[in-house]
Amino acid sequence: MNFPTVEFPWFGNGNIVAIIAIIHVLISHGVAIGATALVVSSEYYAIVTKNEKLDQLAKQLTKWILIITTTVGAMTGVGIWFSTTVIQPDSIGSLLRIFFWAWVAEWVVFVLEVVFLLIYYYTWETWKEGKAKRKHLNVGIMLAVFSWLTMSIITGILAAKLTPGRWVETLSFWNAFFNPTYLPSLGFRTFLSIMLAIALFTIFVRLFVKDEEVRMPLLRIFSIWGAISLPATVVLGIWYLQSIPDQAAKLIVWSTGLPEKTFDVLNMIAFALIIVFLFWLAIRPKKLPIFLSLAVFMSAIGFIGEFEVVRESIRKPYIIYNYMYVNGITAVKAEEMNRDGYLAHSTVAKIKKVTEKNKVEAGREIYQGQCLACHTIDGWRSKRALANRLKGWPQQSIESFIPTMHQVRPMMPPFVGTKEEVEALAAYLYKVANEEK
Amino acid sequence: MGVLQLSIPPDFPLPIPGNLTLLQFLIVLTFVLHIIFVNFTLSFATGAVILEASAMKTHSRRLDDMARICSLHASIHKSIAVVLGVAPLLIISVIYTQYFYTSTLLIGKAWLSLIILLITAFLLLYVYKFSWEKWENKKGLHFLVGFAAMLILLFVPLIFIVNVVSMLYPEKWSGANGFFHSLLHYPQIWQRYAHFILASLATGGFYMYLYFSVKQRKQTLSDVEQSLKLGGVKVAFWITLLQLVFGSLLLISFDRNIMLLFMGDDALLTALLLLSVFLTILLCALLYVVSKNDRPSMFYASLLCFVLIVGVMGWMRHEVRESYLKPYINEYPRTIEMKKENIKPVNKQ
Repeated sequence: MNFPTVEFPWFGNGNIVAIIAIIHVLISHGVAIGATALVVSSEYYAIVTKNEKLDQLAKQLTKWILIITTTVGAMTGVGIWFSTTVIQPDSIGSLLRIFFWAWVAEWVVFVLEVVFLLIYYYTWETWKEGKAKRKHLNVGIMLAVFSWLTMSIITGILAAKLTPGRWVETLSFWNAFFNPTYLPSLGFRTFLSIMLAIALFTIFVRLFVKDEEVRMPLLRIFSIWGAISLPATVVLGIWYLQSIPDQAAKLIVWSTGLPEKTFDVLNMIAFALIIVFLFWLAIRPKKLPIFLSLAVFMSAIGFIGEFEVVRESIRKPYIIYNYMYVNGITAVKAEEMNRDGYLAHSTVAKIKKVTEKNKVEAGREIYQGQCLACHTIDGWRSKRALANRLKGWPQQSIESFIPTMHQVRPMMPPFVGTKEEVEALAAYLYKVANEEK
Repeated sequence: MGVLQLSIPPDFPLPIPGNLTLLQFLIVLTFVLHIIFVNFTLSFATGAVILEASAMKTHSRRLDDMARICSLHASIHKSIAVVLGVAPLLIISVIYTQYFYTSTLLIGKAWLSLIILLITAFLLLYVYKFSWEKWENKKGLHFLVGFAAMLILLFVPLIFIVNVVSMLYPEKWSGANGFFHSLLHYPQIWQRYAHFILASLATGGFYMYLYFSVKQRKQTLSDVEQSLKLGGVKVAFWITLLQLVFGSLLLISFDRNIMLLFMGDDALLTALLLLSVFLTILLCALLYVVSKNDRPSMFYASLLCFVLIVGVMGWMRHEVRESYLKPYINEYPRTIEMKKENIKPVNKQ
């Protein structure tokens, strides 16, 4: 615990990061990457078929891409960084040191992406005919390419958290970046983005675009992209799944918090839904049911939420696999802390040594340093609320469970510290679990 | 000094990923780029709201058109301001980790609130811009939207300023109690805020002069555009003049030993300060000439002068931070070299 801690006692610290990340993935993948590809395709199709109305619709959609990505999209992107700094400073700080130049490259690409987006939207009416229109379309293509490039850089960093591969031995930037899940996850995310855009935008097209001269060609473009993207997403998704560590794969169902049967059924229904939807889109676009579009819209959001939660959770007990535990402790630190005490090595701890008198307070500090990343005392997620989990446990049982919990529960990092510190943590947890509220 | 008792954490075992001097150069460069666009955004949002209010009061079509142009520029530049901000934030996190992370965590909830505040402000700016004609008959509501965006944008810099000032004062960390308390707990905050807000307004005014001067080369400016151009020059002139006072107020709010570095104790810093004062006066003189008799040669001269001022200001700002942190960095050094024994993988059981 080297930095002051910030606590969200009801919501849970991990959930703050998760909610921001989910919103960001929905927008960065679905809108910035996926919808841009659809819009630029529509502009191209409008030029080829001389469909002025479709061109105007593409402009309208771009306006929404601009509004959404430069507000919620951009700020949740920065927000992931803000929230991880506040909640997991050791982890994000270490990642910045490893991947600094990748982030610099991403920044350059990101700036260009926004510049292309601004040019693309604001020159729509001025670059209208002949060569100028061609130039406009080229800006759109560049925009689509740069949106994808930002993802192709950031994916290297994200994938390395789960599979740093040879980096843990070589400490080489390139080994970390081109890690074992880099290519499969990049491929998976690429086509997932397009599927997501189709799922998110179809309902709005269905509801608000009345003119069939525009709606039909647009839905046709959606269905062509869908026919390519769905099989690609599935195949690449399987490759991605096969490349993650076995221990992580075992945690997939657990990390959703669902019983295995429910997990299977829900995912099968969503998959069936998307297939029916795509066939309908391709065969009878005129009669596409609103409820089906809506169901696909909701499932897409649900799927992204699930994907993000799973991706973050299956890394446990690590935050950077085989290097740093989810509470920011590394192997080297753990050795020192087991020897001299966790609190003695915690810069911000007010108590450095446990005594009979300060036991409970010392336990609270240890809880903040080692447990807070995932747990609450009495937050809304009852499985993670320790007052709920430990209700009825004698203090002695808590004390003897703590040093062995990582063996019983593979997603938990080992407790780090001295025997007295175990006692202090047990005393604190016993107290909060038995307090009258 | 008793720095050993302070809550400055040891640096991470992973080394700083590059040459420190290069990174320091990059932080100054990218921060300046970022802050210029922040200045534009703040200034145009404020400008649009003030002009619209005057337009409503005097029923002036011209002022309303001027306000609308400002709102368009505000919403474009805010997008660039955000993306450009990523680089300096990245570098400050990497080279001042021990200080910047602690100061961020000390105002953790306010720091996170930036996400919601800025999303709201940016969405309001879009509503403000895109509804200008549609809400012609709902002027009061339209004004309120712009006003709310402006208030948020004027509040947000305080969060950033508290963070970057707090990182300079590790000995005051233990007495700090969240963001609002910190506003009065640390010195310099309000002086920095005033200096920054004025700089924003002046920069926005100067932008209007530059933008419409360039446009004028291709086409004749409309009456409204001409007013914005000359209005911009006036705003830039008067506010830059004021900065001589507010800059001095900021200087004397520094700890005495830091302030004296700029007043003779350090040759480089003193030279930088003198240069900035000289350039500021020169820019005012050029702007004065422009306001009386606009000549193309003035355009390049004032642009060069402006770029130099911004560069020198960015550099001095960095030197202030370095001077404050020097004693602490000596005691709690950064990790410069990779030591493999400190970065071991977890042994799998």
